[in-house]
Amino acid sequence: MAGRDEAAFDVLVSRWQERAYRIAWSILRDADDARDVSQEAFLRVYEHADRFEGRARFSTWFYRIVVNLCLDHRRRHGWWRRMVHALDGVDARDSALDRQPAPGPAVDDLAAGRQTMRQLGREVARLSPQQRAAVMLQVEGLPTAEIASVMECAEATVRVHLHRALAALRKSMGSG
Amino acid sequence: MTHDETVIVPYLRGELGPDETRAVAAHLAECAACRRVADDFGALLETLAVAPTAPAPDWGRYRVELRARLEQRTGRVTRARRWAPAPLVLSGALAVVLLVLALGVDPRPPRVADLGAVEEAVIGERLDLLREYAVVERLDLLEDLDVIRDLDRLEPVREG
Repeated sequence: MAGRDEAAFDVLVSRWQERAYRIAWSILRDADDARDVSQEAFLRVYEHADRFEGRARFSTWFYRIVVNLCLDHRRRHGWWRRMVHALDGVDARDSALDRQPAPGPAVDDLAAGRQTMRQLGREVARLSPQQRAAVMLQVEGLPTAEIASVMECAEATVRVHLHRALAALRKSMGSG
Repeated sequence: MTHDETVIVPYLRGELGPDETRAVAAHLAECAACRRVADDFGALLETLAVAPTAPAPDWGRYRVELRARLEQRTGRVTRARRWAPAPLVLSGALAVVLLVLALGVDPRPPRVADLGAVEEAVIGERLDLLREYAVVERLDLLEDLDVIRDLDRLEPVREG
């Protein structure tokens, strides 16, 4: 990669495109933004491959790029999106999926399960970007230590993010 | 253990050391409130693990866009052999087109509008054709972008 091997980069993109997009979408909750940011992450990898010294896992380094780009994107564009959506009468925190008409009363467990999933998705979208990043990285299976490395914070901070996120979800889902 | 709820998630994920794990387990056995929290957190973690994730984008178009952005960023054209999302399929399909043109088997001229159209048309429509040509599997997958772009200017093969 450090030699700008485009064939190797193509393989890298093939292997990581779904994870990159999934993480970006989980934080940004917008398909266009997720595509843009995840692509930018690959471009950063291509440009800065020589900075990866191999002391950390590649996944840690790459996820860090993705998460930082997502958080930067939210900071730069979040206020604009909220303003635009406020003018449109739309909650900027909701994704297009969330803006679909709410399903009718659940008539069976399957419908209730789908409704729960939909509600959970809405509540996750309401978490802070840092909490959402911590939650989604743990869903990806990263241990707390690696999440801390990706988010460039202490493990104790990750624990706080996860706890506050789950506590908020627990409360909004009606359990707490 | 005091009511430090921040240890519940690492406890549920099995990330605590043996002593800390025993301490948390002992506390949960005695504290109903923390036990309810742990149960709810565990259920949420399980639900999050199976919750619907991002809607999948059109990966072909995603790769074409990424390629274009890289070319713009680096200021040079990338070679198709390193960029085709399915290089073997794409170059194999194009090789088949060249092959049949050379053999005069099928006079249909290749249609090349742009790289995105080539990929979507060839990969999407000619995969079944590729499966019939074992030789394609052994063809070099390194077709130059220039060849792809210039296919419509290839000399037609005369029949007979």
